[in-house]
Amino acid sequence: MENIEKKLREEAKRLLEEKRVDALVGFEAGTLPLTATPCFITSPEEADRLVWNAFCSQNLAKYVHDLISQHHNSQKRVKPEDRKKKVVGVVARGCTTRSIVLHLQERQYGRDEVTIIGVPCEGYVDRKALTAALDGADIREGSLTGDRLDILTAEGKKEIPLQDVLADNCRTCRFNNPIIHDVMIGEPAPAMPGAVQEYAEVEEFEKLSTEERWRYFTKEMSKCIRCYACRQACPSCYCPTCFVEQTQPQWVGLGEDATDTQVFQLMRLFHMVGRCVDCGSCVSVCPMGVDLRKFLKKLDKDVFDFFGNRAGVSLDDPPPLSTFKEDDKEDFIYNP
Amino acid sequence: MARRKFATLKSFLDYIGIEGDRTIFTWVSASEGERFANVIKGVTAKVQALGPATKLVKEL
Ligand code: SF4
Ligand code: SF4
Repeated sequence: MENIEKKLREEAKRLLEEKRVDALVGFEAGTLPLTATPCFITSPEEADRLVWNAFCSQNLAKYVHDLISQHHNSQKRVKPEDRKKKVVGVVARGCTTRSIVLHLQERQYGRDEVTIIGVPCEGYVDRKALTAALDGADIREGSLTGDRLDILTAEGKKEIPLQDVLADNCRTCRFNNPIIHDVMIGEPAPAMPGAVQEYAEVEEFEKLSTEERWRYFTKEMSKCIRCYACRQACPSCYCPTCFVEQTQPQWVGLGEDATDTQVFQLMRLFHMVGRCVDCGSCVSVCPMGVDLRKFLKKLDKDVFDFFGNRAGVSLDDPPPLSTFKEDDKEDFIYNP
Repeated sequence: MARRKFATLKSFLDYIGIEGDRTIFTWVSASEGERFANVIKGVTAKVQALGPATKLVKEL
C-alpha cells in the first residue's frame, strides 16, 4: 500500500502539473485514527495529502458526478463559444469505476470529462464491525500492518485481523479492480475469495416465509430516521430533486409514520434496479445500521438471473432497464 | 422494458414480504373485450382469496 500511495501522489501531481485535470477527488487521512475522508485537490503541491488504504470507504464517483454536474450548470448561462471544459480526476477502485461506467451509460458526462486513476482494492474496513469488535471502545491510536490492525483503546491494546472487519460487500466483491482507467497504479489485486458466494445471503433470506421476510423488512425500516445519508452517499442517486422532496405530487409523507418510511425505502431501493454497484457506501454512512444491502443485493441478483447483466461492469452492455430481449422472462405475466 | 420493470418489481415486492399474488400484470388490447373481462374476474378472485391488504397501508 505504501508503494501505491507514493505512485498515486506522483501520478496526481503529474496530472495536475500538466493541467490534464482541473480537480482531483481522492482520500486523505481522516481526523480520527484509522479513518480516511474524501478530499478535493486542485494544485500539484496538495497531492501529498492523498492516501490509499483500507479505510477509504466512500464511493468517490458521487463527487465526480457532483463536480461535473455543477460545472455543467454553471456553463448554461455562458455563451457556447466561451464555455470551458472541466476535467475531474478521481482515484477509483472497482466499484467506483462501475459507478462511472453507469454515469457514462446514463449520459451524465462524457468520457473526456473524467480522468480515472485506477487503484487495486482488497476491501475496506466496516467501521461498525470494527466498533463492535472493540465492544464500542474509542480508538486512541491504531495502525495497520499487513493484515493486522493494532489498536489502542482505553481498555488496552488489541489486535484484530483485517479479514474480521472487512465490509460485507467487499468480502463478496467480484470487481475489485478498475473496469476502466486512464492510468493504473500498482498491480491488479487478487480476486476476493468470497465472490463465489455473493448471493448466499440473499438465497438464505429467500427461503424464509413471506411473513418472516415482511417482519424483517419492517424491523429494519423501523430503525430508519430518514436522514437520507444513504441517498446522499449513493452515486446512483443523482436526481436534482429526489422524489422524497417533491411536493407536487407528494409521493411520500415526511413524518414519522412507519408506512411512509417503508415506502420511501421501497422506492429508493427500487430506483436501484440494475444500477446498484454494491459499493456499500449507503450501508457505511447509515447512522442507524439499517440492513440495506439485504435488499439491494436482491435487485442485483434478480437482474443477473433474469437478464444476465450486472450494473456498470461493461461500457458495451446497455443498462438492463433501457433495453430488452425477445425472450425476456415473462412467466410472471398473468394469463387467465 | 416495461416487462423487465414488472418482472423485477413483482419479485422484489415478494422478497420484502408482499405476497407475490398481489402484484398482477398482463397486457390487454382494446379489441380483447372477453379477455379483459376474464382478467378482471381472475384478479378479483385472487385478491378476494388473499383478503384485504394490510401492508404498506398508511393509517390516518
Ligand atoms: S431515491 Fe430515486 S428519486 Fe431520489 S435521488 Fe435516488 S434515484 Fe433519484
Ligand atoms: S442512512 Fe439509514 S437512517 Fe438515514 S435514511 Fe438511509 S437507511 Fe434511513
